This record gives sequence, structure tokens and C-alpha cells, in this order.
Amino acid sequence: MSERQPQPSTAPPASVHPERPSTSPPVPGGYAQDERSESKGAPPPPSAAPPGPGAGHPAPPVFSPAAFVLVVIGVLGAIGVAPLAAAFFGDRLALGPGVAAALAAVAAAGFAGALGATAALVSRRLAFYEVAAATLLWAALVALVAAAPGLRSVRALAPLEAQGTLVVVLGLLGGGILAATAVFAGSTLAYLVTGTGRLDASISYELFVARSHLRLSPRTVAALFGIVVTGLVPGLLVALGWSLVRDARERRAYRRGELFRRGRMPATLLMTLISIGGVAIGVWALTVVLSVMSGFEADLKRKILGHNAHGMVLTYGQDGFDDWRGARQKALGVSGVAGATPFLYNEVMLSAGQNLTGAILKGIDLDTVGTVTDLPRNVEDGQLGWLRTPEKVPRPAHDPDALSTPAPQPRTDRTLPGIVVGRELARSLRVFVGDQVNVVSPFGDLGPAGPQPKSRPFRVAAIFYSGMYEYDSKFAYMDLGEAQRFFGTGDTITGLELRVGDVDMARAVMGRVVFALGGWPYRAKDWGELNRSLFSALQMEKVVMAVILGFIVLVASFIIVATLIMLVLEKTREIAVLKSMGAGVPSVMKIFVAEGVVIGAVGTAFGLILGYGSCLLIDRVGIPLDPEVYYISNLPVLIEPAQFGLAALGALLLSYLATIYPATKAARLRPVDGLRAD
Amino acid sequence: MTAPFVRIEGLAKTYLMADRRLEVLRGLDLEIAEGELVALTGPSGAGKSTFLHLLGTLDVPTRGRVRFDGEDVFERTEEELAAFRNGTVGFVFQSHHLLPEFTALENAMMPGLIRRIPRSDARRRASEMLERVGLGDRLEHRPGELSGGEQQRVALARALSLSPRLLLADEPTGNLDPQTADGIHALLVDLNRSLGITAVVVTHNERLAQALPRRLRLVAGRLA
Repeated sequence: MSERQPQPSTAPPASVHPERPSTSPPVPGGYAQDERSESKGAPPPPSAAPPGPGAGHPAPPVFSPAAFVLVVIGVLGAIGVAPLAAAFFGDRLALGPGVAAALAAVAAAGFAGALGATAALVSRRLAFYEVAAATLLWAALVALVAAAPGLRSVRALAPLEAQGTLVVVLGLLGGGILAATAVFAGSTLAYLVTGTGRLDASISYELFVARSHLRLSPRTVAALFGIVVTGLVPGLLVALGWSLVRDARERRAYRRGELFRRGRMPATLLMTLISIGGVAIGVWALTVVLSVMSGFEADLKRKILGHNAHGMVLTYGQDGFDDWRGARQKALGVSGVAGATPFLYNEVMLSAGQNLTGAILKGIDLDTVGTVTDLPRNVEDGQLGWLRTPEKVPRPAHDPDALSTPAPQPRTDRTLPGIVVGRELARSLRVFVGDQVNVVSPFGDLGPAGPQPKSRPFRVAAIFYSGMYEYDSKFAYMDLGEAQRFFGTGDTITGLELRVGDVDMARAVMGRVVFALGGWPYRAKDWGELNRSLFSALQMEKVVMAVILGFIVLVASFIIVATLIMLVLEKTREIAVLKSMGAGVPSVMKIFVAEGVVIGAVGTAFGLILGYGSCLLIDRVGIPLDPEVYYISNLPVLIEPAQFGLAALGALLLSYLATIYPATKAARLRPVDGLRAD
Repeated sequence: MTAPFVRIEGLAKTYLMADRRLEVLRGLDLEIAEGELVALTGPSGAGKSTFLHLLGTLDVPTRGRVRFDGEDVFERTEEELAAFRNGTVGFVFQSHHLLPEFTALENAMMPGLIRRIPRSDARRRASEMLERVGLGDRLEHRPGELSGGEQQRVALARALSLSPRLLLADEPTGNLDPQTADGIHALLVDLNRSLGITAVVVTHNERLAQALPRRLRLVAGRLA
């Protein structure tokens, strides 16, 4: 560029400058000619230039209807795309719920971002006002939905609707805000990259300048990390002590008349470090709390799934499940099924001595139950095998409850069929392995005075401990054949319990099993369906926690805003100089966006390291809990990479969005103001 | 018929202060030919700096036009103006306005980096220009380690690193002792001669102004 024609060095002759023949009307060219030919304030006299305009280059309009339409399509579209994509990925492509949700979110965000980017291209600036207007529009729509219950019968809202109007409104508003955020992020990115009128994604010199603003040396960053990792107080005390030492050294040097100035930290660097610390603490808290909650959830899930099957095949109505051996073979042939076992389900009363309690009695097949549930591994006393060989059950050597059970069990030595009870159930019945338990079924024989409950003694063959209070206090097991005899059901069962290869795919696999069995009269339930309320409550709790802790990160991003505004004020002159050298609006914006994102990225990295470290610490060292209260001996923690990634992504997005306002402020500075400021 | 390089028509700038209008420029008409070296003098507050800022499109006039090669620059969009400043205009300010955290070389490279020319290219141009202003051995020094005259030379090298057609210097010697000022002026004249750059130099120094080929005097917002 700029291959100027070489000028003869004598081009500006020193003598013949003033009046140069000009083709235009008699403009008083040169100098010293502009005499009082016009009165004050009148437009410049003869030139053809129209008065008035000419001042001011064409600025893009503040609000572009076209961009607004695009933004609205982006917001509404993203809200619509998300559930559709979730359904597509989850049901059609049969991906796991986590993967499907992630892909759906990516799809919706991509859609919103793309339309935001288009809006920025169309309006040639940030589509901020359009996004704000679209968000307000969405809020109005949500208000309409909240006010008109008829509109709420839309199927897409059904899962939310079940949880009440507040959840519907908050969910819709949250979705709208997320969609608008995605649109705005897309619009800002597009403007930063194409705002110059051509594609310019380079940030080389912007980073160069940003680095000089941030002044983050590795030593400073390491010191900050030290302060944060020691939990602020010790680190700050050390820093304070070091500062005092240096103060004293400076004073001593001053008294001796030496030239010694301790370096002082510039205010903006301090602010930068505080912002980094803020983001780090936010991400730290977010990751640790979410990991602990995941730990609880996983623990719960493990216990539920360990004790229960992943799914069960039942029959409709009262019909017994007769051909269960054939059905089991068919079910085992379905891909994804790892195990199947028959069971008979009944509710009974258990009594031992004077203790009486209700229980769920399951008849199980000893050979196959281990392929489906963890029962054989959960036995903590006795042996599951003794169910089949009750004669091997040891008799109680002494009766520890002799005082409280005045009437000793009759005929203790008789061989009774075995029963397995949970630890809590055993405790409330006050029985141990070898003790006798009476099982009372309300559906009894027909006696002389009408139906009468059936009662038979059993001997406790084993006691299991699953870790779930509900199970340990409610469940009892016996051999399937024994149970069929006791209940008089013949060779029928209640259903088949299945174990699947991938827990998250249980729903799909169960559908295939029912299909393989030929449909009616068979039906299937998966564990998610069986425990829906529990897991949706956990999920909701987690989302709420994430939002609340997200506010820490949000506050940290406000610190980034404040820091950047300070930097902009400090660098007003420098911005003006850069603009005088031809740095455009997007270019100046990129400098400050880069600074904010660097702050956010360093803070996020700190937070992730701290969060991961804390989780490892909790996992390895453990924080003991009172098992009587929590039914779990240590604080559980589950490190999910996706969760860490999501927290990092959220923090980075917030830091990025935080930069937009200060960056715009910097980029819109008029160079003359900055140059005059000195 | 070829339009003059710079043509200013009825240029006026009025600032609206809190309660009064401040007419800084009141209708300037001027032509500057390619390759000219113009001295602009005048008392303080006559609007010299404002005039220079308008010429360099750092500010927007209230009325009037500035035409480069016949084209009104203020018709352009902000981004086009930025590109125009980057490629066509070079600024030198009274207080040099170097970026303190960067070396002389990096400062002089900055316009090239802004234009996104390759780093090696920018480095070559900047070091050539620094050598030309006599700072070939000071490339890695920061502004704080340079004398006032040297700083101003770096600023000059920075302004010229992309070979602009127009150099605007706002009292480049205002903060310098007479001897150094003479040096800078000689450099300006030399660069104007050898590179053929059109230059407008605002100066308080009548003696130096007299040495320049064309002199303009701005009094109370008008050319006198």
C-alpha cells in the first residue's frame, strides 16, 4: 500500500505558494485572504458546500428493525429449538440424557448466537438495544402465559407445569434470558470480528497492548494463588507482614539518606488481582458444592440401583405372570439387558415377640438375583444361601431378649424356612440371625369364620444393609418357591427385574424388552420412573444451588466491570493515541475484552484448580458425617468433568459479557478528549 | 482539474459549553498541495490544535468540509476514518504520547500492528524509520529511558512508520530546549524534502516558523 509517487524534493517552492489557480469558485485559498467579507456566524460564503451538513460521518442508526426481527427470531427460536433438539437427540438418536441435553443446549445456543451475529452484521454495531427489546417482549409473553392458564396446556410446558406456576414463570424467564444472552454473545463476537467492515479476527496487537495494561507477571499470579489457596486470611497476613518489612526497610534507608523506594502496587493491578480472586472463589464454590451434591445424588442412585433393579417387566391387571421362564429368556436376549430375575411382591406384617411391623416381602430367585441387584453383596450377617438350606441357620445360643420376651419361642429347634430382613427391620423387631419371625399375610385361608390372616414362622437367615433407611427398614426376602407356597400363587410371579448395561439407557432398553415380549399384557417401568419425584427434586435442588452460587461468579464479573472501567479511565490518553494511529472501534474494544477475558480465564483456572483440589481432599481425607442422621459416613463427592467444564464455561461467558460495557465505553471515547486530557 | 491534496471549505467548530457557545474555528478555507510544508502559528487558544484535529479526522467539524483528493472525509464511516488515519495521516503531539510500557521499537511498530501487517514487516519499517531519525541504537529503550528530544524522534518515527501522505505535528518542539527543537525541525524539513510528505506543523516558535516555506497564522478562529 501507499506507493506514493516520489515527489521531487523541490516540490514545495518556498516562494510561490499563496494563490494557486483553482478550478473551484473563488475560494479564498492560501492564507491572509480570509477577510471580513462575511458577517459573523453566516455560512462560509461562496463555496458550493451546502451549509449545515457535512459535519459528522454517517453513523449507523441506534435501533435497526431488521436486527430486532433477527434477534426476536433468535430468542424465540432458541427457546423452541432447545426442547426439540433434546427430544431429537434423546429419543431419536437414543443418546443418554446428559449428552442429549448438552447437545440440545449447544444447538440452541448456536442458533441464537448465529442470529445474534447476523443481527450485528445487519445493524453494523452491537445489537444491544434489540436484544433488550426482545427480552422485554419475551417477558411480556411469559406474563401472558402466567395470566392465562389456558395457554399453559401446551405440551412442552407439561413437565414444568407439574411444579407450579412459579416454576413455569421462572423457568420460562430463565430460558429467555439464557437465549437472549446467547444472542447477545453472538452479536458482540460478530461485531468484534467484522466491525471494521471486513473479517478481522486477529487480536495480536490487542493482546500486546492488553498485556501491558494488566501487568500480570507470573510472580504476581503465583502470589495471588497463594493468598487464595490458603483461604485468604493467612495469605493476606503474610502479604501484610511482607509489606510492613519493606516499609521498615524503606524508612531505614531514608534515615540513612539512601535512595530506596519500595515498589508500590498500582491501583488497577490491585483491582485486577481482586477480580481474579473473585472469579476464582466463585468457580471454586460452584464446583465444590456441585460436586458434593453430585456425590449425594450418585450415592443415592447407587444405593437405589444397587438395591432395586434398573427396570421391571410387569403384567397388566390381575393376570399372573405365568410363563416367566420363557419371558426371562426372551428378555435376556434383548441387547442392553445384563441380567433378569423373577420376583414375587407382597405386603405383609412381621412380628417377633411383641414387636410388630409392616414390611414388603419379596420372593427372589437365589440363582439369578445376584445378576440384578446387590443383595448378595449387601448381606452383613448370615448367608443368603441359607434361604435354601434353612437347616444350616445357626440357632441362637442364648436369647438376648429374654427379659423382654417372656414367652420363649416355641419349638426353637424346628427347621423353619428362611427369611432375610434389613438391618433396621431387624433392629425394630429385635431379631438376629437364627431368630424366629412370624410372617402374617392379610390374604389368608378361608377359616370357619370367613377369611383369616395366614401366619407362619420363619427363621432369619441373613440381615442385609443397603445404606438406604427406607430399604433397610421395609424389605424382607425369601426364596421364590417358599414365597409362592406361602401366598398360594402357584408358579406365577409378579414380574421380572432387569439389570441393563447402561443405567442412563434403561428407559430405551425397557421399551425394547416389552417389544420383544410382544407387548400386551406386558409393561415395563424403569428406575427413573419408579423414583421420579426423588430425582427430579434432587435435580431441581442442584439447579437452584447452581443459580445461587452462580451469583458469586456474577458479582465477580461486576468486579471485572469496575476494574475495566478504572483501566479505561486510566488509559484514556493511550486509547486516544491508539485511535489517532487508526485503531478502530472493534480494535479498541478487543483490547479491553481481551483484558476481561484474561482476568476471567485466570480466575476460572484458579477456581478449577482449587475446586478440583478441594474435591480430591474431601474424597481422600473425607469429612465425617453422623451416620445416624445422614445414613452415610463421609461427605460424598463426585468429580464430574462435565460439571467443571460447565462452571468454567459459565464463568468465562460472564467475564466476557462483563467486558462489553467497559470496552464499548473505551472504544467510543473521542480521541480529542483523551488528547486534551493532559 | 486534479483536486488539491487537501482542501478545506468553510471549516467551523463550535463547542457547546454548559451555558455558552465557544466558537473555536469560524470558517476556514485553505488548500494544501501535496508535498507542502506548512507552518501554522498563532496565539494560544486560536484553535490551532482543533484545526489540526479536524484535519486529522480526530474530531468532527460543526460546519464545513475537509476534502482529501476532492473527497469529503467526513462522509466516511467511523471505521473508514480509522483506516484513513492509519494509512494516510501521521500525528506528532506536543507531549509525544508514547506508550510508556513499550520500547521505542514497539511504539514505532504500533501503527503497522494496528493495520495488521506482519510483525516482521512492521518491525522492519519501524526500525528503518527509527534509524532515519537517528535512534538506530535506541530500539529497545522505553520512553522513560529516553531524553525529551529522543522521545519526540520516536514519536516522529511512529507517525511516519507507515509512510503517510500527511504529517500533522502539534507543537512538536513545545517541550524541548531550543537546541533540541532546532534538531527536530531540521529533521522535519529533511523528511519533508526526502520523503515528499505533506506536513502541517503547529508551532509557537516564530523563529522556527520563519524557516518553513509556507506560513499560516490563525487568530481567533480565522486565518489571518
